[in-house]
Amino acid sequence: MSENRYWKSVEERDSSLPRAGRSESEAPVALPIDRRGFLKASGFTVAGTLLVGCSRKPVEKAIPYLVQPEEIVPGRATWYASTCGGCAAGCGALVKCRDGRPIKLEGNRDHPFSQGGLCAVGQASLLGLYDSQRFSGPQLAGRQSGWDEVDQAVTGRIAEVTASKGRVRLLTDTVTSPTEQRLIDRFLRQFSDAKHVVYDPLSSSAILDAHQTTHGLRVLPRYRFGRADVIVSFGADFLGTWISPVEFTTDYRSGRNLDGDSPRLSFHAQLESRMSLTGSNADLRVILDPAEEGLALGRLAEKVAELAGTAYPGFAGTSSSVLEEATLDDLAERLWQARGRSLVVSASQSSRQQVLVNYLNQLLGAYGATIDLERPSMQRQGNDIALAELADELARGSVDLLLIQGVNPVYDLPLPGLAKAVEEAPFVVSFAASLDETAARADAICPEPHFLEAWGDCEAVAGVVSIAQPAIRPLRDTRSMMESLSVWLGEPKSALDLIQECWLEEILPRTSALSFRSFWDHTVRDGSALIAAEALEVSPFVISAVEPLGSVGQDEHFTLELYPTIGLLDGRHAHNPWLQELPDPVTKVTWDNYASLSPVAAADLGVGESDVVRLEVPGEQSFELPVYVQPGQHDRVVAVALGYGRLGTDRFHTAGPKWLQSKPTVDAGATVGVNAAPWTTLGKEGRGYRRSGVKVIPTGRTYDLASTQTYHFLSVPEKLAPTDGQDRPIIQEAVLEEYLEDRSAGAPHLHHFESDLWGEHEFDVHHWAMAIDLSACTGCAACVVSCQAENNVPVVGKDEVERRREMHWIRIDRYYRGDPTAPDTVHQPMMCHHCDNAPCETVCPVIATLHSSEGLNMQIYNRCVGTRYCANNCPYKVRRFNWFDYAHDDKLENLMLNPDVTVRDRGVMEKCSLCVQRIQEGKIVAISEGREVADGEIQTACQQSCPAQAIVFGDLVDPESRVSKIFGDPRHYVIFEELNVRPSVGYLRLVRNRPAITAGHVTEEQEDSHHG
Amino acid sequence: MARTAWPLREPLIAGDKTPAQVTIDISRPLEGRATPLWWAAFLVSLTTLFVGMVAVSYQIKTGIGTWGLNRTIGWSFDITNFVFWVGIGHAGTLISAILFLLRQRWRTSVNRAAEAMTLFAVMCAGIFPIIHMGRPWLAFWVLPYPNGRGPLWVNFRSPLLWDVFAISTYFIISAVFWYVGLIPDLATLRDRTKPGLRQRLFSFFSLGWNGALSVWNRYETVYLILAAALATPLVLSVHSIVSFDFATSVLPGWHTTIFPPYFVGGAIFSGMSMVLTLMIIARKTMRLEDYLTIRHIDTMTKLVLATSWMVAIAYATEFFVALYSGNELERFVFLNRAMGPMAWSYWIMVCCNVLVPQIFWFRRMRRALPVVFVATILINVGMWFERFVIITTSLHRDFLPSSWASYTPTLIELATLAGSFGLFFTCFLLFCRFLPMIAMAEIKGVLNAHLKPAHGLEVAEVEVEAETEPIAARSVVGGLEEVQT
Repeated sequence: MSENRYWKSVEERDSSLPRAGRSESEAPVALPIDRRGFLKASGFTVAGTLLVGCSRKPVEKAIPYLVQPEEIVPGRATWYASTCGGCAAGCGALVKCRDGRPIKLEGNRDHPFSQGGLCAVGQASLLGLYDSQRFSGPQLAGRQSGWDEVDQAVTGRIAEVTASKGRVRLLTDTVTSPTEQRLIDRFLRQFSDAKHVVYDPLSSSAILDAHQTTHGLRVLPRYRFGRADVIVSFGADFLGTWISPVEFTTDYRSGRNLDGDSPRLSFHAQLESRMSLTGSNADLRVILDPAEEGLALGRLAEKVAELAGTAYPGFAGTSSSVLEEATLDDLAERLWQARGRSLVVSASQSSRQQVLVNYLNQLLGAYGATIDLERPSMQRQGNDIALAELADELARGSVDLLLIQGVNPVYDLPLPGLAKAVEEAPFVVSFAASLDETAARADAICPEPHFLEAWGDCEAVAGVVSIAQPAIRPLRDTRSMMESLSVWLGEPKSALDLIQECWLEEILPRTSALSFRSFWDHTVRDGSALIAAEALEVSPFVISAVEPLGSVGQDEHFTLELYPTIGLLDGRHAHNPWLQELPDPVTKVTWDNYASLSPVAAADLGVGESDVVRLEVPGEQSFELPVYVQPGQHDRVVAVALGYGRLGTDRFHTAGPKWLQSKPTVDAGATVGVNAAPWTTLGKEGRGYRRSGVKVIPTGRTYDLASTQTYHFLSVPEKLAPTDGQDRPIIQEAVLEEYLEDRSAGAPHLHHFESDLWGEHEFDVHHWAMAIDLSACTGCAACVVSCQAENNVPVVGKDEVERRREMHWIRIDRYYRGDPTAPDTVHQPMMCHHCDNAPCETVCPVIATLHSSEGLNMQIYNRCVGTRYCANNCPYKVRRFNWFDYAHDDKLENLMLNPDVTVRDRGVMEKCSLCVQRIQEGKIVAISEGREVADGEIQTACQQSCPAQAIVFGDLVDPESRVSKIFGDPRHYVIFEELNVRPSVGYLRLVRNRPAITAGHVTEEQEDSHHG
Repeated sequence: MARTAWPLREPLIAGDKTPAQVTIDISRPLEGRATPLWWAAFLVSLTTLFVGMVAVSYQIKTGIGTWGLNRTIGWSFDITNFVFWVGIGHAGTLISAILFLLRQRWRTSVNRAAEAMTLFAVMCAGIFPIIHMGRPWLAFWVLPYPNGRGPLWVNFRSPLLWDVFAISTYFIISAVFWYVGLIPDLATLRDRTKPGLRQRLFSFFSLGWNGALSVWNRYETVYLILAAALATPLVLSVHSIVSFDFATSVLPGWHTTIFPPYFVGGAIFSGMSMVLTLMIIARKTMRLEDYLTIRHIDTMTKLVLATSWMVAIAYATEFFVALYSGNELERFVFLNRAMGPMAWSYWIMVCCNVLVPQIFWFRRMRRALPVVFVATILINVGMWFERFVIITTSLHRDFLPSSWASYTPTLIELATLAGSFGLFFTCFLLFCRFLPMIAMAEIKGVLNAHLKPAHGLEVAEVEVEAETEPIAARSVVGGLEEVQT
């Protein structure tokens, strides 16, 4: 080779010739390495490089505190008592903070009325704190601004209005805060024409109006379901969405307690036209034609009056065509027999009907017994008549300064001209925390903080005062309304000062406390205090107000029922993905609203699920919605949920994984669901949520709904039933009569396992177990969201739910039983059963799921390779697989991840752990205090949140624990006992308070014949 | 022609072949240029394989969510494909081992291709358990290798682990069996090939074969041991163990003791059908009509008919047991299979697996190639659906009605299924092109020509052949056996 090369110098020529001696001597440093050494070194290097390359995640550095803040111990949570701001009900909440960040809300057990329960909305409202779309600061004329400029603009406007004696209107929802009310009063006092208009998007105005008529006092009484032995509800969804569901559920549950020797089970009849959560729990459910609601009430009143021996004022209405006379007689009889212990409630927005309800309750002696007027509820104060007046004023353009807090009238009022009126109003101030339909048209936006960021107070029920305290430094530049008002009054004060001032002057005198300081400190620590209620002047019942009601008449068209859903309520939580993905407790549909039709109505129209129909009222905007076929609904009713179609919900366009065949949760620029609020009514009668004369017209298009449950019955389809109408023994139930005779009534038949291939597991220290009382569970789904928050369960988006891949660790199975048009409903919470003979454990090839020495079925995410065999082999189908890398890329939302729970990677299986992190924490605390874990000390997230206290968790090794006793209860059963998987999660049989004959349950003989 | 010489029985090899002619015929496709038909088929297969690879890469990158599975149906196409391909892979060993032991001499024409088919099918099958994992990059965790993670070991109670052993053993034994069978032929090819890479490869892999009697002796002993001791039990074990994936679960429709024989029967059924499909294509395209004769096809269709009855009886037994057991969940699963929302798949299965093979009762149908071709394809469609029915319909409506769900495959799954066929045919076409599709050495043992006066024409070549293949004695004996039996 080198022969043909030209060389530049002798050196080059020489160096190109191999000369052993020379190269050796001239090598700068001979490497002290031999061949073997080199191989070792290179092998090590290659292996090392490979190992380093093996780490899948970039290393993140944790920086310790330079100065350790007081009270914060890394790894230990701090708890603050507060008040939930999810709705106006004002339940007590405990805020769990880790490293200065609220990561979980729990019910406050010391709270006088919520008693430890917290609903799904309350649980999810935590996520609202970390909503990245909240206003980062005040806005002026649609532009980011500073507080000084905004204050200048507002005070300037105030000065103008004061000078010109202009009209000032403050529009809010129910104000339960005494301090806020005080500030509002002081603020409005400076104007010559100022009015505070209160309206509730979910109005109960008619109840207040009726009490004005009958008792001379515009007041919402406090219903005491727990004191009632007979409850008759006309369409009031008091366990779901009506006024104060957590309080009512807790109370209702206390009247339905089968534990102990003297079980008590109130009788609950629900007369309603659509299937509500409350109706699904009723002992007797009557499907009522909405047109005949007044008539039915009147007939019932007449019958009760007859029993009471008084004359029913006015003449008896015509005979009800739908309600059987016998049913009404039975109800009247039951109510009368339990007088003083019975209660009639109605959600009707007709004050005439509410007057009748009051009359009934008066006859039954409910006032002072099951209805509390001394400590009335403040949870609904709205006055729809005043709202209608304001609407007129706005339409005329005669409001000079409009302030709007807590409500979104442009969205939820049926006034097409309102948007324009608000836009054209001279000056509109909004206190909205994030952009909504109304704030978008306001001149100035003074965003309020999230309730977890600020001081607040609340008197939701007269005499029950509670404190909301900040649990985190405000994430945004916000100011609560009372602070803003104080600034504009010229005496700026912090919310804390304002509240203390108010409490010193107004609350303290109602207590027997000697020192304000100690009263204040106690209240802040406990979260609430019970003080004297202000005395109310109740006038004697005005019997003359009662007038009989007839049928409002029917036509061949449908009646539209507008109702709130358990998650979104009036739409205020529409930006909360947890609530959007929370299956409706009855329909199990997520991410959409729909037109519910009864099976008969759907068949008549020739439509089925997912067919789009158009709802039309002549001369009004029509809506197109997909159909949902709802058994148990009246055939002439179409029900549509409120709260959907909110501005900005297209943010969920990106919710869920993106891949080749994925569909967005919502189209870009569209909204989640359709806003049905324009079809509510607002007139002289107040707000109405019902429209008659609605035409339902099939469009021929389809729109898929994402539902977490698509087969709804306990019995398998008839043509596939091995024996006629086969019910699976998943839900066992009995009626009260049978239960009182035989505590094990309803058990299908007993299985005995004489021998077992597997050895018994031995549990020496603990054996964790759970029991769920199906008689107590209402299906309200609080547990679902609580679990989601506790266990970092991701939101997967509509498309994934539609593909049946929702990730909830606890779900509530809802089954229908019996008549497909008027079925019985049952709710069954379902989570990992932690079987002692777990089928999932034997099949995993890599032992990624195994049994702990404490009876827990553990899932080891690190070890899981994702064969999904465990899920296939799970009889309860509770295992959840990470089909994708579910989004955890919202940095702000990630602040609320529970640091005690691993965020799962793609490709691994996950499931309920019975909150193993809480068990560990409880054990560590007990050990550090040198004692045993006390029964009830460790609570799972679902159990803690349950307003009905349907879930009991504990240790089976301790024979005295509640769960041990429940496992020995004859009412206790496990699902599919014959599989011998030995679940550690059991159920207490459902007991319904109804005569044995009408119960649609299978008698034992039939059951036996099923089993051959 | 041959019929006159052997009136009792049709000859196994038609066309009065001499051993030399056999070598020439069978080596022809390897030595000439590839035909346009081969290229077309190869390109189509390669493209399909590529599509499948893209689909699998996408799925591994994005997640199993790109399949149509859900929380109720954790397996569907993936494991269906797996069991399907394992089933296809059954015919090879059956033909090589069991038929060898049973001295079914007709097997010599098909065993090589069937064994190759087995290997490729098992390769296709092996892909699915790996890619069906949520984290396939950790698939090696299913191997019990010493590790530094404390006492962390695999779960020997899990049927999936048994699968790992069963399939890998099966693959290794099949590969060895196939390779050992190839050695004499490789030597033949070595001798026929011009010097170059190809010859060196043949030379290396023929392990210095010289055709000596002692070599033949050892060779046949090894072959017998492989067949009798190793491969034969595997024919029964592999699919039995695959069936344990289902049989040991608690799921109604899976949890049944009939599965091992049922699966083995079904596997032979589908494997035979696949062999037939491939043979019909091969004899046409590679001009091997003389070697893969109508008689072969006739014999194999009889086997197909027999195994179709095995599966039919299994189907019926399942229903009977469900009825007789009194287990409502079990009964429901079977009623749901036949009448539920996925009943169409059940009836495809029944039509293809039970009804279609009944045409093979008729000799004319057994010998009508288009009929056999279409029928065998239908049978494999049916057998694919059998696994789909077992897996998917049992899962989609199991214990709790609240969890009942339905299943639709995604494009990715369809592409992956197609890709597995792409891989199979790509491998098979390459095999046809580079290795003798028919076992030359063995086929010469069943030639009729040896019992006839040799034609002077080809003496020279016969002598050349004789160096490598002292088959005359064997074939005479073999031929006589054939006559006697």
